[in-house]
Amino acid sequence: MSAVPSIRILESFYASIQDLGRYGFRALGVPVSGAMDKLSAAYANALVGNESNSALIEVIGGNFTFELLRDALLAITGAEVNITVNNMIVSNWTLLYVRKGHVVSIDSPKRGFITYVAIDGGIDVESIMNSKSTYIRGGFGGFNGRLLKQGDIILSKSVSYERLMHLAGAYKAPREIVEKIPKPDDIIEVKATEGIHEELLGDDINILLNNTYSVEVNSDRMGYRLKGEPLKKASKLDKLISIPTNRGYVQIPPDGQPIVLMSDAQTVGGYAVALVAVQNSVDILAQATPGQKVRFKKISPKEAEESNIEYLKLLEKPRLIFEEEVYY
Amino acid sequence: MTIYEKPKVKFVGGEIAYIELCDEVSLNCNKKVHVIYYLILKDIYEGKIDGILEVVPAYSSLTLFYDPRKIKHQHLESYIIRTAEYVVSLNLNEIVKPKIFKIPVIYGEEFGPDFTDVLTITKMSKDEFIKLHTSKEYICYMLGFTPGFIYLGDVDDKIAVPRLDTPRTKVPAGSVGIAGKQTGLYGIESPGGWRLIGRTPVKTFDYKKIPPIPIKPGDIVKFYPITREEYHVLKDKFIDEVQ
Repeated sequence: MSAVPSIRILESFYASIQDLGRYGFRALGVPVSGAMDKLSAAYANALVGNESNSALIEVIGGNFTFELLRDALLAITGAEVNITVNNMIVSNWTLLYVRKGHVVSIDSPKRGFITYVAIDGGIDVESIMNSKSTYIRGGFGGFNGRLLKQGDIILSKSVSYERLMHLAGAYKAPREIVEKIPKPDDIIEVKATEGIHEELLGDDINILLNNTYSVEVNSDRMGYRLKGEPLKKASKLDKLISIPTNRGYVQIPPDGQPIVLMSDAQTVGGYAVALVAVQNSVDILAQATPGQKVRFKKISPKEAEESNIEYLKLLEKPRLIFEEEVYY
Repeated sequence: MTIYEKPKVKFVGGEIAYIELCDEVSLNCNKKVHVIYYLILKDIYEGKIDGILEVVPAYSSLTLFYDPRKIKHQHLESYIIRTAEYVVSLNLNEIVKPKIFKIPVIYGEEFGPDFTDVLTITKMSKDEFIKLHTSKEYICYMLGFTPGFIYLGDVDDKIAVPRLDTPRTKVPAGSVGIAGKQTGLYGIESPGGWRLIGRTPVKTFDYKKIPPIPIKPGDIVKFYPITREEYHVLKDKFIDEVQ
């Protein structure tokens, strides 16, 4: 399989190349990065016959248009959004066969916030520290270490015609996976275990557990900022010793407003960690639209392990269903 | 301020073990962190423990990321306690064999925009300050917040100046700063609040290399002063090339 020019970007607002993350280098200060909603990313790959960890395009906030430079299998997952191929509406969470020269357009999301575009064979960019994820702040990984922009030509490993035909079938994602994407007026429930500095925050933890918070506009791939009833004790804490962090850590800075660390989280941090969310919940939170309501639900370490076990199984091998149905 | 007899282990998020060895930033405690870190890496490498995905050391703690499909927290906890007990019986210097890195620095002017202020605060001449800053071998406490940022310590009390009240939004790669008892080096351009005293022309972090930075937690860094001419000669050489 050789790499061939496959996608030309015609319009892009906030899109980058991601896989499931750059693990193993946090001891050297290198963040994990990777898809924000990993399960949706893994499903996009699975639908076109790729490994879960293949590189694909992550589109945050929609408004992304591209032209196919070869015949290809595509799958678009994540947020519910209008997708057109040459102005014809097509479905998400399913396999699409798109011809060379056709233009695919992804509108603004109606439900959820992030979409994934996978192409058969996977996007071919240089692997940096064993990952193809873009770390925008560091300027490396993905497509030249930056967001995609108009005119970029993206390569992919082209799958042979026979394999393409073999793969072609009406595979879809199970309904319960698609339904995980939060509706704009849903209150997202983030399941989390106790954090690392619970003793220091004392009763304030109950403030966090008993109130709903809303996702702030200035959230990004590094962290989702929440606003609501502040945890007042946070302003009185002495400076804490920095500790390693992870996606899902619920930090409480001195202003008492929680920040949930996301895929581009810095590797160490000095804010109090009130709770630690399980990965499945972080995926769902990633899909929150600005202003969306969030509440936390505390679970035991054992429940968290069980949740992650199910999640990791699914992430590694997304379960697809076969449906006799005509597709584009 | 104590080093605990037994580490405090906390399991969070269903995939993370947080191991705290003390409640202080000290070279003594940090060395214990490094010993446990390298012992665990060795055990993983030799296949003695399965299911640990990544180990990240910090000042007084280290964090293990594990695959709950392969190992349960009960097993991991006993492994951690066993490892920590084993460490007590060891000569720490035999486990951590630090490498020494010499890093050239040009002090002041456009390379160290806070240097003049730092000299005012410390009431020192340029030469006195440089002599003190370059006289010590610093231990790398840890790396992080950004790729390749190295936290080094401890500096002489006479040159320990507080961090800036308002961090800069952009600090160039290679910048050398001071924050309290620590001195640090920015591996990539990033925001930062350390008082900048100078800059190294050499690249300490190169994302195209594996590992991207040869300095590891527990290694030793010694700075030496260079002239503007030397700065330009050494510019963008990788740190390995100038040792």
